[in-house]
Amino acid sequence: MTLFRHRLFWPLALTGAVLVSLVLFPSLWQMVLAFLDGAAGGRGHFNFFSTLSRTSLIGGMALSVFLSFRAGLINIGGEGQLVIGGLVAALVGIYLPGPGVLVGVVSLLAAMLAGGLWALLAGFFERVLSVPLLVGSLLLNYPASFIASYLVSHPLRDVNSGIAQSHRIAHGAYLPRFSGTILDYGVLLMAAFGIAIIVVDRSRVFGYRARMQGISPEFARASGFPVTRMYFQILFGSGAIAGAVGFVAVFGIAHRYVDGMLVIPLYAWTGVVAVLLARVNPLWVLPAAFLFAALQTGAAGLEHSAGIPREMAQVVQGVIILFLAAGGQRFLQNTTGEGA
Amino acid sequence: MPDPHPQRPFNKAALGRLVDVSRAFGPLKAVDAVSVDFFAGEILAIVGENGAGKSTLMNILFGMLAPDSGHVEVAGHKVSFRSSRDAIKAGLGMVHQHFMLFPGLSVLENILVGAEKATRSGLVDYRARRAEVQELMQQFDFSLSLDQPVGKLPVHARQQVEIMKMLFRAARLIILDEPTAVLTPHEKDRLFQMLGRLRDDGRAVVIITHKLDEVMEVSDRVMIMRAGRKIEETPTRATSRDQISRAMIGREIASPPKTDSRKAGIALEVRGVSVARPEGPLALENLSLSLREGEVFGIAGVAGNGQKPLVEALVGLVPLSAGQITLGGVEITSLDVGARRRMGLAYLAEDRMRVGLADAARIYENTIAGREGSRAFSRRGWLRMRAARQSGAEVIRDYDVAASGPMQRVSDLSGGNKQKIIVGRELAAEPSLVIAENPSWGVDVGAMAFIHQRLLAAATRGAAVLLVSSDLEELFALSDRVGVLYDGRMNGIFPRAELDAYRIGAAMAGKIGGAA
Repeated sequence: MTLFRHRLFWPLALTGAVLVSLVLFPSLWQMVLAFLDGAAGGRGHFNFFSTLSRTSLIGGMALSVFLSFRAGLINIGGEGQLVIGGLVAALVGIYLPGPGVLVGVVSLLAAMLAGGLWALLAGFFERVLSVPLLVGSLLLNYPASFIASYLVSHPLRDVNSGIAQSHRIAHGAYLPRFSGTILDYGVLLMAAFGIAIIVVDRSRVFGYRARMQGISPEFARASGFPVTRMYFQILFGSGAIAGAVGFVAVFGIAHRYVDGMLVIPLYAWTGVVAVLLARVNPLWVLPAAFLFAALQTGAAGLEHSAGIPREMAQVVQGVIILFLAAGGQRFLQNTTGEGA
Repeated sequence: MPDPHPQRPFNKAALGRLVDVSRAFGPLKAVDAVSVDFFAGEILAIVGENGAGKSTLMNILFGMLAPDSGHVEVAGHKVSFRSSRDAIKAGLGMVHQHFMLFPGLSVLENILVGAEKATRSGLVDYRARRAEVQELMQQFDFSLSLDQPVGKLPVHARQQVEIMKMLFRAARLIILDEPTAVLTPHEKDRLFQMLGRLRDDGRAVVIITHKLDEVMEVSDRVMIMRAGRKIEETPTRATSRDQISRAMIGREIASPPKTDSRKAGIALEVRGVSVARPEGPLALENLSLSLREGEVFGIAGVAGNGQKPLVEALVGLVPLSAGQITLGGVEITSLDVGARRRMGLAYLAEDRMRVGLADAARIYENTIAGREGSRAFSRRGWLRMRAARQSGAEVIRDYDVAASGPMQRVSDLSGGNKQKIIVGRELAAEPSLVIAENPSWGVDVGAMAFIHQRLLAAATRGAAVLLVSSDLEELFALSDRVGVLYDGRMNGIFPRAELDAYRIGAAMAGKIGGAA
């Protein structure tokens, strides 16, 4: 019994099991190599940069989720905020005339504003109509993607292209890429968000209050924190980051809005899982996002070379969620327990 | 079986025993090699400070915790309960401090839950069960109307339902955890009569308490615990209040002397304040009171008669439906909590784990709350970490908190130390109004005396203190005046010279109020 309880038992047992399997089944090695090649290999480490590119989207969504979860707000409407942000970014990018840099900056700000307002909508539903944030933010995902689908299928459709997608944004407004790679500068924007969030969380009064509120909203209220203002600020911030991710996806990768481009890859939901895996710790949010991005690009590599369907990545992700849920009643750091 | 207690009052065999049980939580030995017998026809009081191990000991007896060593015996046989279900089957029953009832179900349904004796087809013969329950009620002189929903019953009746539940399950050994904490003096007397009848019926009754008057009044035998050990076990009539107190604490505690520190200025003025409930009658109705600087004003009342809405209205957590509040001459009715705090309000919340503290956070994060935006702890929105940690260290030092340092998490601390953190934080700002809600509830005697002393010191400095407490002893010891809340109204205000447990008890039960 005590052997099982030892804190190193399971890590050692699992590592042991993996090593034994690798020795017994040499083909597993090839799988591992194929996975690593898919996640980081390719010509000029092409796949590594596509993992990083994916990390910037998943990580951005994870930061958006983190901001809300840290303060105890269960905003799971990241997908809707992301879609609205991407859509607005594309609209501005297509229709705003002017120099590329200016178009880019305005698009980014518009996308953040739009995502933020979409998140605030869920907040108003909760505060005014008593629709729990969890429900309101989740349900607002659907109108967001349907509105976007409609717009790019009909009024804004690039009719020459044959599929539901908008026209291209102005070429001069594309997010630049690191030379010789497919990685765009969006990753820098997300890294900056990540650093800003860590700093605010640790050193700003605002971050302190948000953290305390996440531990106990009653404590925050009784301590006299401006809880209503914080509620809306945090929701807006959360939505704004999601909107910025939409901007990066449009300006850095697709250069237009393609129907389903932000929904089908499950960026928002993977972001939620990354935050849970990081145990709502700001330092681990981006590394966790990187892990999931690598899992997904690696799975694509496995599909090429070993014929394992890439959906296996989703299965693995599902297993991780299951384990988090099993051990995760405390995932919002409410680690209260009573001794005797 | 050798008899370890030849002097026991009734010559009957032990119904149950704990033999040399120990239980540790991490490095803490919560119960350390304790043996005790439970005899039929006897009321045993287990006393000790908070954290002395009383509850752990009873949880072991009741099958909720497994002992690390030692064992439990019932009727002479060694047993090992895997859960409280097993314990109930073996004839044990426990009334927890927080009742475990379904408020939406009727009294009868609550009594039957889990013991319905359903037929094989899953039906319950309510008529037969009702008759059985009624017979038991008659035998022990209970007065409960079986069809009322439990949620509508007053607290003392809910307690009766809990006791009835155990009797219906034929419990022979009945454990009550702090049974009088929620009762008025009259209700307490009735409970003790009831326990007397259980004893005379040949059952073994165990009460866990830290109120020594009650030990002397109701018990036949008393066992004193301290730091997980059994310190003493003696027939109650062979000991005294003082002796028990000394054994319990292991040192002398001087209760702080109360002097009248009231000054002329009015600190808090509450005029015609009402607070609405989501539905039903007002939670607080047209309440007025006025506190002078330096005054300690006690609020007595059975829990649920308007204490919570009064406190929350003063702190700014609920909106008023009528009336106004002024603090130091300035109207604060429409100010939020933060603004009131900046005007000198301090709040010692009853719910320490959720309202008073961010339990999972560090000590210093808790000691700066409420002042985190002040110049002491921040500059242009940046936290001054060194000052923040310093404030944690100061509370630890000044309040003698058993903690490793300001970086320690509050959840690691004991109940008394947690409360010291709150008191330290709230009084550090030299408040002009202190709202203290059951400040010594669940706190050990040493910490209690310390907290009382600090509250009185704040009053002497000129703060008005509103002391809401369900402990009359505490109210009497500290208050200049005591007001009694009943059904959302002030049912009498008693000056210090006229404080009398039975008169106040009558007012708490809704009878004639006292003069102002």
